[in-house]
Amino acid sequence: MFKKFDEKDSISGVQQLKSSVQKSIRNKLLELYPSLDDYLDGILPKKDGFRLVKCHDHIELIVNSGGELLFFRQREAAWMPTLRLLHKYPFMLPAEQVDKGAIRFVLSGANIMCPGLTSPGAKMTEAPKGTVVAVMAEGKQHALAVGITSMSTEDIAKVNKGVGVENCHYLNDGLWQMKPVK
Amino acid sequence: MAASAGPALDVAYPFRVLYCGNCTLPIEYCEYHPEHDKCKQWLEKNLPVEFEKLCKAADISTDEAGEEKKRQKRGGKGIVKARKKDDGPKQVCLSRAPRGKKKSVTVVTGLNSFNIDLKVASKFFGTKFACGSSVTGDDEIVIQGDVKDELFDIIPEKWPEIDEDFIEDLGDLKR
Repeated sequence: MFKKFDEKDSISGVQQLKSSVQKSIRNKLLELYPSLDDYLDGILPKKDGFRLVKCHDHIELIVNSGGELLFFRQREAAWMPTLRLLHKYPFMLPAEQVDKGAIRFVLSGANIMCPGLTSPGAKMTEAPKGTVVAVMAEGKQHALAVGITSMSTEDIAKVNKGVGVENCHYLNDGLWQMKPVK
Repeated sequence: MAASAGPALDVAYPFRVLYCGNCTLPIEYCEYHPEHDKCKQWLEKNLPVEFEKLCKAADISTDEAGEEKKRQKRGGKGIVKARKKDDGPKQVCLSRAPRGKKKSVTVVTGLNSFNIDLKVASKFFGTKFACGSSVTGDDEIVIQGDVKDELFDIIPEKWPEIDEDFIEDLGDLKR
């Protein structure tokens, strides 16, 4: 999603959101990530509002008043946290761990294939199809990508072929490189 | 790592992650960056404690290398390519452009290459010289009035990373 993303070319506009829209986004985020309940005030303080950055390919980003990138989504899909935010609050997403051999492919933007999730070095937390997950790596502490499962973890273990998690945002992609929005 | 079910109680959130100053990745992922050597140098200089930890970890992993050979290697390249950084000549250029018969404006280009926010810089120039100042292009500030000589003193003062040698005088521009 952000493989060819470029700060200069891909942004079409920044919008200050109405407070009613902000409220609805906040509620949606809580609905999606209930474990963030105690921390959402720290991420998106109620007092200072946040902004919406519109980008090409129907991508939207949430940016707080300081310009930090927090969440992103494409079209009307679920909001996903950026990796920097996920590193701060690693518990917000279910973690799927890939084995060591897969790391470099994930870091160049590949989708996560089933065998990488089922091999001895990997670990899976159960998740249905279409959930936003954090992709962790064997022997590493922090997440290296954010993705959406394209089949349930049960199916991943059973089928063990093809794409298991669709890679949406990974370390060092365009979104990671993007500087805070002023 | 923390369980996905909920926040771990013994960790204070927001969790602080150390990022490499060279490649911006968390330091444990530096080894997958094409400029790993530079990262190492940076780490050694800035976070010696972490560097030692990493060295120890590397020692252990080389012991395991024999085992790793047995495992089937995956096809494809999967090498992260370095992003092209256009590190052009770092230079600030000053020039004067005429405006009408007896007035002139000063054009400052190249501040962007020092990672200076142009909007902030233009505001600063405006207040400093009590004149109009605007960002007119990708990397261009136009200050109304001829303030070139003052700029030579003020730019290194405001941004110490710009030495006076980096500032070049282009002379008069024709409109």
